[in-house]
Amino acid sequence: MPIKNRFAELHDHIAGWRRDFHAHPELMYDVHRTAEVVANRLRDFGCDEVVPGIGRTGVVAVIKGRSDTQGRVIGLRADMDALPIHEETGAAHASTHPGVMHACGHDGHTAMLLGAAQYLAETRNFDGTAIVIFQPAEEGGAGGKAMVDDGMMDRWGIQEVYGLHNAPGLPAGTFAIRPGPMMAATDEFEITLEGRGGHAARPHQTVDTAVMSFHLGVALQQIVARNADPVEQLVVSVTSIQSSSTAFNVIPQRVTLRGTIRSMQEGHRAMARRRIREVADGIAATFGGSAQVEFKEGYPVLVNHDVETGHAMEVARAVAGDCAITPMVMGGEDFAFMLQARPGAYIRLGNGDSAGLHHPKYDFNDEIIPMGCSWLAGMVETRMPAG
Amino acid sequence: MPIKNRFAELQGQIAEWRRDLHAHPELRFEEHRTGALVADRLRAFGCDEVITGVGQTGVVGVIRGRTDTKGRVIAFRADMDALPILEATGLPHASTLSGKMHACGHDGHTAMLLGAAQYLAETRNFDGTVVLLFQPAEEGGGGAKAMLADGVMDRFGVNEVYGLHNWPGLPAGQFALREGPLMAATDFFEIEVTGRGGHGAMPHQTVDATLAGSAVVMALQQVVARNVDPLQPAVLSVCSLRTDTDAHNVIAGAARIKGTVRYLDPAVQDLIRARIKEVAEATAKAHGAEAKLDYMPCVPATINTPDMAAHALAAAQAVSPVVRTDIPPVMGGEDFADMLGERPGAFVFLGNGDSAELHNPRYEFNDDAIPAGCSWFATLAETRMPLSA
Repeated sequence: MPIKNRFAELHDHIAGWRRDFHAHPELMYDVHRTAEVVANRLRDFGCDEVVPGIGRTGVVAVIKGRSDTQGRVIGLRADMDALPIHEETGAAHASTHPGVMHACGHDGHTAMLLGAAQYLAETRNFDGTAIVIFQPAEEGGAGGKAMVDDGMMDRWGIQEVYGLHNAPGLPAGTFAIRPGPMMAATDEFEITLEGRGGHAARPHQTVDTAVMSFHLGVALQQIVARNADPVEQLVVSVTSIQSSSTAFNVIPQRVTLRGTIRSMQEGHRAMARRRIREVADGIAATFGGSAQVEFKEGYPVLVNHDVETGHAMEVARAVAGDCAITPMVMGGEDFAFMLQARPGAYIRLGNGDSAGLHHPKYDFNDEIIPMGCSWLAGMVETRMPAG
Repeated sequence: MPIKNRFAELQGQIAEWRRDLHAHPELRFEEHRTGALVADRLRAFGCDEVITGVGQTGVVGVIRGRTDTKGRVIAFRADMDALPILEATGLPHASTLSGKMHACGHDGHTAMLLGAAQYLAETRNFDGTVVLLFQPAEEGGGGAKAMLADGVMDRFGVNEVYGLHNWPGLPAGQFALREGPLMAATDFFEIEVTGRGGHGAMPHQTVDATLAGSAVVMALQQVVARNVDPLQPAVLSVCSLRTDTDAHNVIAGAARIKGTVRYLDPAVQDLIRARIKEVAEATAKAHGAEAKLDYMPCVPATINTPDMAAHALAAAQAVSPVVRTDIPPVMGGEDFADMLGERPGAFVFLGNGDSAELHNPRYEFNDDAIPAGCSWFATLAETRMPLSA
């Protein structure tokens, strides 16, 4: 298959869309302009159905193949949202919204899926139905879950779902994937230590939450160092310690610690939560205080389904000649929710030697557009071959 | 070719040898009786060469095949030493030497390789040479290193080397292995924390080595939790913290910390070693004390050579209906790694069934696994060095 010729022709076009998205980044669920542009293009392409407002600001479109003898339905997903970062690329197409930036390449994902949709709507060389899914709020807003919760999978009868993410550091236009767990579950925790505040000159009259918090920060290290199975993967990071007072002479009544848990399997995920609670309670009790622990469940582990990973690799090899096995990534990704709902696979597409994701100098590499588009379209044509 | 019939016939006899070894355990580099028994048997089987005293108490046997058209030489290794553990199995063949015990199944490994040697010496259905390595001091003694230092690989022209270890929890007679790292590298470390001792009632006149040592132990937790890549398996365990005083009212002037480090990737060693030194020295300094690190690399990771792992897998599949290749790496260490450092080869696990764990005082080698283990060795010899048709 290698790169489809049509995408060489459309390359500049798609890069133009991408740069337009880049110049107009939108956060979380506020992807109103982006979704409108997407929906208008999809209608122009002649999609059979274009439905905005799925998962609040998500867009779903239907492209029917030349035939439909088996009732097959394949979903392709891109994310549309940007990040609260002040852009420093100096690119001509840099963000026109100060403090908001496409620093994760979702502009590229959206443009590539649009390109694939145009091609599929033009050619329709497949036997079944392609569903193109444009989701909001991948960056911490669980937009993927919102679309699933809106009944998207059932409403369009989606049987398999595929997605991709650009990967800085991976050679431009090359693919890498991993069967099974590929990206981490991301949970957040907040521990509030309660003591008895007072005058810093009379510590014996207080229950010092500051000292308590220092001990807790150290004691939490045992969860990874001592409790986790060393051949599994787990990260517990304390990322913030804030005392209720910022004075020089007040022992704080309250100190709040925040952090994140990254895990690759549910057992570890549960263990880390249980241990955070136990360690916090124990350390607080040691000092005569108390701990209140709250968790915010983030994205689950992104688990690529074995069979579908094989299909994704097959198409990647056809497009790029090869497909590498990637190591696990401790970052999270809310496509995990879609993979919980349906079998499928998530693949990494090399962005070349660019700045890292979420970096103010990051930019999506337009060179890789034909590969990404070819892979997306290839998934549809390979999984639902025309008779 | 499942289990070779000859091993079904020999099983009772091999089990007898095994139980005799079990009753007479010997610790590292003291395997005099075991080594002599092994050498006598190898001579009785008609091995072409039997050499004792290789790597102190190790024994090497050589069996030439029916033909030798290609000059191929395959080595098999078994370990012979026991552990300083008081046996609690209550078996008729339990250790007769109080405080010494075959709690790691090396009695079984040695007996199975003897069984394979008898069969190979009887049949010689291979084109090349089999070298049998009966190694001393696997349990922390560097026995493999000692045999290598004696030039065993070059002297006998070994091309490939294979070994096995019994594995409690895996059904008896089944095999498990993986390509690449199978078992962890093992290093030891000691940190001497020096302060200034004194009276328990006057801490302000001292530099408290207990407190400084405790702080070092706590601070070392960051090495695995914060410094090592979470995708890289690593363990840093402090196993002993001893002060130089045992009194209730004396503040220690020195404390000694001992522990072990485990990892699969050699690059992790450099990181952990450097971080232990930095953390220990800086934390001690923060308490006004000094820390001195003695870091002792012991055994590298046991890393199966991909091609040889495939041969080992094929032989295991020929012998056993079930071979697991999905096992995670094991953080325990194994000095067969040193042999794999000199020659390509592979190490596999052989199921010991539902037994007590290795190094447990109630552990017992499972004699039901004998035919599978013997057949695996013999099959490897015959398939890696086939007679020409």
